[in-house]
Amino acid sequence: MQADHAEDLASIREQARRLLVDQATPEHLKNLLNAPGSFDQALWRHAVEQGWPSVAMPEQVGGLALGWSGLAVICEELGRLTGALPLIANALTAHAVISAGISGHQQLLEDLTSGALTAALALADPSDSGICSPGAAKESNGRIDGVKALAAFAAVADVALVHGVNERGDGLYLVHLDQPSVKRQVLEGFDNARAAAALQFEQTEAVYLGGAELVSEISSLAALATAFEQLGGTHACLDMACDYARERRAFGQAIGGFQGIKHKLAEIYCLLEIARGCAADALDAWQQQRPDKQQLTCAARIAATRAYNLAAQENLHVHGGMGVTWEAMPHHYYRRARSLALELGSVAYWRERLLTDLGLESTTVEVGGSA
Amino acid sequence: MHFTQNLEDEQFRQEVRAFIQANLPTDLAERNHRGYHPLREDIRQWTKILNRHGLSGGNWPKQWGGTGWSPVRQFIFDEECLFAGAPPVDTAGFKMIGPVIMTFGSEAMKAEYGPRILNGDVYWGQGFSEPNAGSDLGSLSTRAVCDGDEYVINGRKIWTSFVETAEMIFVLVKTDPEARQRGISMMLVDREAPGVTIRPIHDIGESHSLNEVFFDDVRIPASNLVGEEGKGWTYAKFLLENERAFSAEWPRNNANLARLRTFLNVEQADGQRLIDRAGFAPRLAQLETDLLALRWLSLRALHEKAGGQSRLPMGSLLKIRGSELLQKIGDLQVEALGCYASYVYPDPLANAAVEKAWAPGPDYAPGIMADYFYRRATTIYGGANEVQRTIIARSFLEL
Repeated sequence: MQADHAEDLASIREQARRLLVDQATPEHLKNLLNAPGSFDQALWRHAVEQGWPSVAMPEQVGGLALGWSGLAVICEELGRLTGALPLIANALTAHAVISAGISGHQQLLEDLTSGALTAALALADPSDSGICSPGAAKESNGRIDGVKALAAFAAVADVALVHGVNERGDGLYLVHLDQPSVKRQVLEGFDNARAAAALQFEQTEAVYLGGAELVSEISSLAALATAFEQLGGTHACLDMACDYARERRAFGQAIGGFQGIKHKLAEIYCLLEIARGCAADALDAWQQQRPDKQQLTCAARIAATRAYNLAAQENLHVHGGMGVTWEAMPHHYYRRARSLALELGSVAYWRERLLTDLGLESTTVEVGGSA
Repeated sequence: MHFTQNLEDEQFRQEVRAFIQANLPTDLAERNHRGYHPLREDIRQWTKILNRHGLSGGNWPKQWGGTGWSPVRQFIFDEECLFAGAPPVDTAGFKMIGPVIMTFGSEAMKAEYGPRILNGDVYWGQGFSEPNAGSDLGSLSTRAVCDGDEYVINGRKIWTSFVETAEMIFVLVKTDPEARQRGISMMLVDREAPGVTIRPIHDIGESHSLNEVFFDDVRIPASNLVGEEGKGWTYAKFLLENERAFSAEWPRNNANLARLRTFLNVEQADGQRLIDRAGFAPRLAQLETDLLALRWLSLRALHEKAGGQSRLPMGSLLKIRGSELLQKIGDLQVEALGCYASYVYPDPLANAAVEKAWAPGPDYAPGIMADYFYRRATTIYGGANEVQRTIIARSFLEL
């Protein structure tokens, strides 16, 4: 990383933190959680003013060209406050279109960079048991049919990257969601604040961007950026649990003095640091285009999911009865930890993928087993 | 140890099944298979059916209107009922305050409440926890002052489940604010007594059950004191040990795992069964093992309790194992649902509008997701698991 970038990143982090603390108040977040398909329009407007969608975009489309590390910084700050913005989807849609090397999309790229348009990643199938296999959306002759599982921001997005199949195998498609043949189904979910919708296509125009390799690159990069969002959430849960453990008294002392509590918190810290190391390694591998970048991303995904799951669950537990109330904040993180763990495929899927990348095969790998 | 089931107990199980088949209304069973909180009316209806056959008292001794069954038979009865879809009878009345009244209450109190509990005519709320006294119950500060032949109660209780539809509340109060545990007494309060205010607590689950209860100069007859003044802590420990023994929730764990087992064996849309996928089988096997172990632990605890052999708090063991197993089964249930675990499915019987807006997904999904959030509370309520582990270390290991 270059020195001037480091300064830029630090100032982006500082700015993001200030804005988010200001905007993402508990009351605001609870309103978003209350209604299915909620999108934080106000926060998105601020993000656009600050130029967040442009951070990772290349200069030729008007971006700041700070790379995936720029995106990672903002994702981590978003994760800390359970903010939800389609920054990863916008960046990766642009990246996929640029990688495909097809012409005629300059305006789309500029709009994704400025934030005039928003994107969604529709990778998972509804039949998946947390395992990604794209059987439910099929393309032929530039038209796509079928359904995709609940995808974040699909309720509001202008375009989507869709994982489908054609007669040659896996494909990644660009789909404009304003076509009348696209149906978006918004339903009561356990994390309503991510503007999620299930998508249904019927002879919908779709632009082929690439095959299995591009699908794999896009889902890896999404997992990488999401790992930073998960790190932010994990860190926030740990801070919140520690604060509560210092303040809440029982049996004549702060509950943080009890080993039952403090060992739990120490365990979360260990998982957080392991996840942070994995994510930093994977980020570096992508920046250097190292050959092990996919494997390191799998590790980062698994470590971040484990850390956030445990932190969110135990933060809720440490808060005792308060933890299961709507009024308290721990459930926001519990919900977000679950949705981030689900959206890009389960830990089991990423373990399988890691083993495949390593040239190993497994039929007995544990599903989940996140604790 | 002789707590293995014998042939007569298996014969008894057959009789229980026949009884349930003949008496459990099918609509009631269908509603309770869904995984939501059972409806109050269903509980009442089932309790009355049981009472007509002299079975609602279960493990209560015969002279109090119970069946006189051994604890093992009670266990078999509960197991078969829940498995068949019967709602559990009111735990607070039958398993918590009922035995306390029958053991420590006056004859008048037994006569007043025993038959009403048995017939499902009185539901109870448990007024133990306070904002600053949860797992550390000894720190409670709700105060009762004797005034002639009445007590005047002031204070605030929290996490009082289902009190909004209860007739009575049993509360722990300080009658001597100077003493810690010896200053605690147990009293019965009419929910509709002037000065009792109930405020619902919005929880993270999909159905409401938690409340705060405020006592503002609430007057109760002195005869509503359970047993003696200052003995409340002893009665509470008796009650909590009972609560924990049941919080192993073997019947619920058993029913939930049976549903999961079935679901893993069903062919999915892609023609595959989940049980054939990597990882599901070993984890199911682990849960089955844990479930069997919990069964034997529960039976052993009941056996020792019946024989009076053990004064150790087996309830703490059961509570830890049972609550954590419920969460583990829940985790695998949710994983098995894959993408459908992104949705919640509010109870359509609680709100007629919601079924129309339900997400697609297997029939298996609705109850699982509705219960998933609520289940996080299992390691907190009834005394957090950390406190249970401390009790185990102290009582079994003298640490």
